[in-house]
Amino acid sequence: MNDNRKEQEEKIIRQMMQSEMKKAPENLQFRIMHHIETEKALTPKKKKPKKASDSLLREMGAIFGTMYAVLATMVIGAYLLQGKDFLLTPQFIGPVVLVASVFSLFWLMTRLEAFLKARKK
Amino acid sequence: MNENQCVQQVLSGNTSAFAYFVETYQDMAITIAHRICGNMQDAEDVVQESYLKAYRNLHSFRSESKFSTWLYRIVYNTAITHTNTRMWMGSQETEIEHASELSENRLEINLEEMDRKEVVSDILQRMQKGDALLLTLYYMEDNPVKEIAKITGLNEPNVKVKLFRARKMFKELLAECYKMEDVGFS
Repeated sequence: MNDNRKEQEEKIIRQMMQSEMKKAPENLQFRIMHHIETEKALTPKKKKPKKASDSLLREMGAIFGTMYAVLATMVIGAYLLQGKDFLLTPQFIGPVVLVASVFSLFWLMTRLEAFLKARKK
Repeated sequence: MNENQCVQQVLSGNTSAFAYFVETYQDMAITIAHRICGNMQDAEDVVQESYLKAYRNLHSFRSESKFSTWLYRIVYNTAITHTNTRMWMGSQETEIEHASELSENRLEINLEEMDRKEVVSDILQRMQKGDALLLTLYYMEDNPVKEIAKITGLNEPNVKVKLFRARKMFKELLAECYKMEDVGFS
């Protein structure tokens, strides 16, 4: 008997409360969506950070590619002008080692700079 | 499409999928905001701000809880910040406040003479904001006590006690102010 009364009371309160639900104005959804769309449009798209390994390979390719191109030019030039035997003489090997050392040193400097930049960030 | 799929769509860049959440929950969101702010203009601003916060922080939404609970929690916090309201006063303070209200506003109006909506609105306005909000959350959307606790940040036993008092207060005000004995509240 008491439970029935309680249930009925709950039912009445629920009905009364549900009748008091506020209705959002028609344009509220439009306002919210418009704001979100605008915000999305104004937000700068994040650039994908370059992978460290990608830039390392590209740098190596550029520096050592140039180095091998220079060495190949030197070999072909020496071969055509001085003959096959000149390629084994110290007069030729010396400049080859020098060119290789300069390019290697240059590559080492670029790596050091990249490392220092990354550390600074 | 369920809500989690909708969330995933929004996160993958389809912002128009967010319209589903706005359309589904905006009425309850504005009801909660209105209960705390006390006027429609502020409630609209609060709801708009809350949806923007929800959109910006959607990546932090954990799908183990209901989206509605998560959103209503944002609405609740935004409204509190917006109005700088203190929601939960001590029970003694509340009783004193209502005792004076009851003596001042003994309106002898019958329910048939007033719109039911107006009656409920009037009673909820007389109640403490926190109590009115608890009744709103509990009866309007049949939120369980656990969800109400998550929304309001109160613990479950506290919600139960406050809900019991709020229900009692609601019935008393209804009986006192509107002579509702004939509707089963004797």
